[in-house]
Amino acid sequence: MRAPRRLVESLFLQQVFNGLIVGSLYCLIAIGLTMIFGVMRISNFAHGDFSMLGAYIALYFIAVVSGWFGWIGSLVAAAIGVGIIGFFVERFLFRRLLTRWTDIDIIMLSIGLFILLENGARLVFGPTPKMIPDPFGNTSVNLLVVSTSTLRLLSFVISCVAIFLLQLFLIKTKVGVAIRATSQNRNAALLMGINISFIYSLTFVVGSALAGFGGVLYGTIFAIFPTMGAMPTLKAFAVTILGGMGNIRGAIFGGFILGVAETLGGNYISMQYKNAIGFIMIILVLLVIPNGLFGEKQRT
Amino acid sequence: MNRKSVKWPLIALGALILLALPWIIRDRYVQHLMVLSCISIILSSSWNLLAGYSGLLNLGHAAFFGIGGYTSALLALKLGLSPWIGLPLGGVMASFFGILLGIPSFRLSGPYLAITTIGFSEILRLVSMNWVSMTRGSLGLYGIPPFTPLKLSEKIFIPFTTEQNVYYIVLVFTVLILFLLKKLIHSEFGISLKSMREDEIGSESIGIHASYYKLMVFMISAFLAGFAGSLYAHYIRLISPEMLSLGETFSVLTMVMVGGLGTLGGPVIGAVLLTFLSEGLRFVEDYAKIDIRLIIYGLLLMLTILFMRNGIAGIWKEIIKPIISKPER
Amino acid sequence: MKRRSMIKMVLGGMLCLIILTYGTSLKAQESIPIGILGPFTGSLAFNAEEMKKGMILAIDEINAKGGVFGRKVELIFGDTEAKPDKGVAAVKKLITRDKVPVVGGGYASSVNIATSEVCQNEKTPIVVAIAISPTITNRGFDYVFRTSPNSPQFLAGMNEWLEKVKKPKTVAFLMENTDYGRDGEKIWSAQSQKVGAKELAHLYFEIGDTDFTTQISKLKELKPEVTFNIASTTEAALIQKQARELNFVTQWIGVGGQFTEAYFKMAGPLCQYAMGSSLEPTLAMKNPIVADFVKSYEAKYQKARPGIFSSQGYDNIMVIVDAIKRTGKLTGDLQKDRDAIRDALRKTSINLTQGKIEFDKNGQVYTVVPSPVQVQLADGKPQLSIIYPPDRAGSTYQEPLPWDKRK
Repeated sequence: MRAPRRLVESLFLQQVFNGLIVGSLYCLIAIGLTMIFGVMRISNFAHGDFSMLGAYIALYFIAVVSGWFGWIGSLVAAAIGVGIIGFFVERFLFRRLLTRWTDIDIIMLSIGLFILLENGARLVFGPTPKMIPDPFGNTSVNLLVVSTSTLRLLSFVISCVAIFLLQLFLIKTKVGVAIRATSQNRNAALLMGINISFIYSLTFVVGSALAGFGGVLYGTIFAIFPTMGAMPTLKAFAVTILGGMGNIRGAIFGGFILGVAETLGGNYISMQYKNAIGFIMIILVLLVIPNGLFGEKQRT
Repeated sequence: MNRKSVKWPLIALGALILLALPWIIRDRYVQHLMVLSCISIILSSSWNLLAGYSGLLNLGHAAFFGIGGYTSALLALKLGLSPWIGLPLGGVMASFFGILLGIPSFRLSGPYLAITTIGFSEILRLVSMNWVSMTRGSLGLYGIPPFTPLKLSEKIFIPFTTEQNVYYIVLVFTVLILFLLKKLIHSEFGISLKSMREDEIGSESIGIHASYYKLMVFMISAFLAGFAGSLYAHYIRLISPEMLSLGETFSVLTMVMVGGLGTLGGPVIGAVLLTFLSEGLRFVEDYAKIDIRLIIYGLLLMLTILFMRNGIAGIWKEIIKPIISKPER
Repeated sequence: MKRRSMIKMVLGGMLCLIILTYGTSLKAQESIPIGILGPFTGSLAFNAEEMKKGMILAIDEINAKGGVFGRKVELIFGDTEAKPDKGVAAVKKLITRDKVPVVGGGYASSVNIATSEVCQNEKTPIVVAIAISPTITNRGFDYVFRTSPNSPQFLAGMNEWLEKVKKPKTVAFLMENTDYGRDGEKIWSAQSQKVGAKELAHLYFEIGDTDFTTQISKLKELKPEVTFNIASTTEAALIQKQARELNFVTQWIGVGGQFTEAYFKMAGPLCQYAMGSSLEPTLAMKNPIVADFVKSYEAKYQKARPGIFSSQGYDNIMVIVDAIKRTGKLTGDLQKDRDAIRDALRKTSINLTQGKIEFDKNGQVYTVVPSPVQVQLADGKPQLSIIYPPDRAGSTYQEPLPWDKRK
């Protein structure tokens, strides 16, 4: 497979590019998290595990329907599957805490769920890491000064499209507007006749589905194993805090910023502390701006 | 016979049993679990101070544990310092970091604080993994000296290399710390903490400066956790960056929630129960060939939050205590 | 009252579990127990599974022939979770509770350094199966033995090849941030200086990392001839994949522990040209002992291919049982038996799948010699092949081709 030579070699640009691609994945997962927090004030530590479940669903789907169609189909299957799981999780677990809504309770519940899902997955799927075959056959692409795999490039495009579609949904559709309204001011939304219960379920389902969707991309680019959800969860939280919890636009910016900061920091400062960069950033940001770079949506 | 006069004999009996335990139970493995339980009680109680009594959710607590352990171990290994001195020094070092973490807590709350604490402990964990010249990285520090033997006289010499003897050390410290915590909780300081937990703004209005209390409680909690870490280091005689992992914090958290958040007895019950449960579940692994230990942990945590919010101590208060206590005449 | 009954159920369940725990240690003393350590949960679990499979094969063979002294041999597994402090707890339980006369297994140096120290303090012989840090057997502990070569021994053949054949001018390091990685790094750094190669970069990653594009992009910029890469299965396979994605070509050299079945499944033909030092059993089929082992393994585990961990697990058990047999009998006095087994282990001389096993005065095996191997494609499928020294080589070394020139 011949690939054209690069015009100019630039490590810096390559790392920025790498960062943007990884950042798009962070965005996908973080948006779901921040949406759920914005509307329902739930900090879900098991969010990354939804990505993991999405990846496994995709794996089984592809085993049945292979090839191109299989991969695209698995993205849909994962989103739907995880959406359904999210519905039940919200309805029967988090909803029960509605009356005693302390942050500690919800975080604890989600931590318990996280432990359960991770280890349950290990029991059911086995600890051996698995791969989704690259639908592009491991080809790579050279774009002038940077190169990457075809798969990553396409995942980047898919992520951006998904984010764009979500924004459309939230701005243009009636339901989307209702979600934003609830996020901004729950009581006013109630007064306007919005069915809060329905909005809660819908938000959680959409947020989780996004995570599941992102999980398939994650799983194809990297690998699928039961503990793959932990890192994305922490990164997603870092992104949501960077951008301000509940703030979707903030999450989008935050995701890309984190991605690039990690690759540049890893390249020029220290490879060993690459994973700490996200945390260092949020600590620094929070010390100065307690509600994140773009501020939290105010609630009453 | 009223309840007061029953109290002291009961306590004496309890103390006697605890002291005699290693002579009754000779199985060294169970003795090992007893030592671990005591250390876990101290660690859990320290976390409970933050989350239960002060409403501060610290998900990076394992960092304090690890800092205490590493400090004491390094002092012993590199400077030849006696572990008895290293013990409080480990706590002191941890409390410095406690202050560091206390400062962000002035302005942050809820999930913001929680994530910051996670970031804090993850960064420290990475430091302990990568600062190889100091900490030997992921290999950890092994060959940590045990507590130096006590010389009571020319002939009487008590080494601390067996589970049984270390048990007595940790038992004494555990009881002492629980006693001090009880005094603290019932003092003016403790009441101020609780009021700050319930309503921070309201407390400020009556002169309780939240910042001061947050700083103090982080300091104390971190000291105790670091102390527990030093105990652990000189008992197991090896430590690794794993001690600072999120998994450790989640373990502590589960113990306190299941035992009963915001009570003195809760961490005790939770720590003992989960230490023994965790080891006991190994037998399921042997027979059924599957590992369900952590799954049970996760389930337990979830069920507790959903159905037994105040843990076992809460159930005691709600259900059992009213049954056994006679109405006052 | 629904909440109350739920509570009662949970409490009752916990109580039952605790009671059951302590009622189950009443095992019949008919069988001879051997304690086996390993990270059966956690990130290295699937490799520990391989070791376990080899061990179970060994036990079945032994018991089928009547066991030892007419008694069956039984393996009692202790989970170290790949963490030193859990490993210490696990081995203490095996020694004090299960009262095993000897401990085997073990994977990952950091854990084994700790567990072997415990065994020495408890005067129980331990035979470490899979760990290469030299520290394990150079502390003068007479109860500690190891059936795996240590890192200098493991890499000796590879280092000779580097010096006499490859002679690289530039090298780089991409290491797992553990003792496994750093030990190898030290050895290869010294070797690089010896052959006069320039060390261009020392890069690291954590176990569990999945994205190596930052590191690989940097390496691509530096263009090293040889890149030393110590990693376990998942990370190693992902590195190969991502090197392809970034169009990076180098001679990858690892320790060899990553060449498991899972690795080949994950990396596929992308890992062509990668090298390591290996004791891969399927490369030594000329040896009848190895051929038998491979055949029995494939028969028992439905066509699964035995890898290095399975054969090391198998050898580990065989060495232990052989030593038990040579004690003549087990008295039932635990300390006497443990000492007898230790003495018998010292005199071990047996031919197994890794080759001949004999221990030096430190309890370290010195007769096993891994060879440098390279992944080469046969019908588009990756295979390992010994490429040095010439008298043992299965094929010749292939210089890695740029990606667009590969089929």
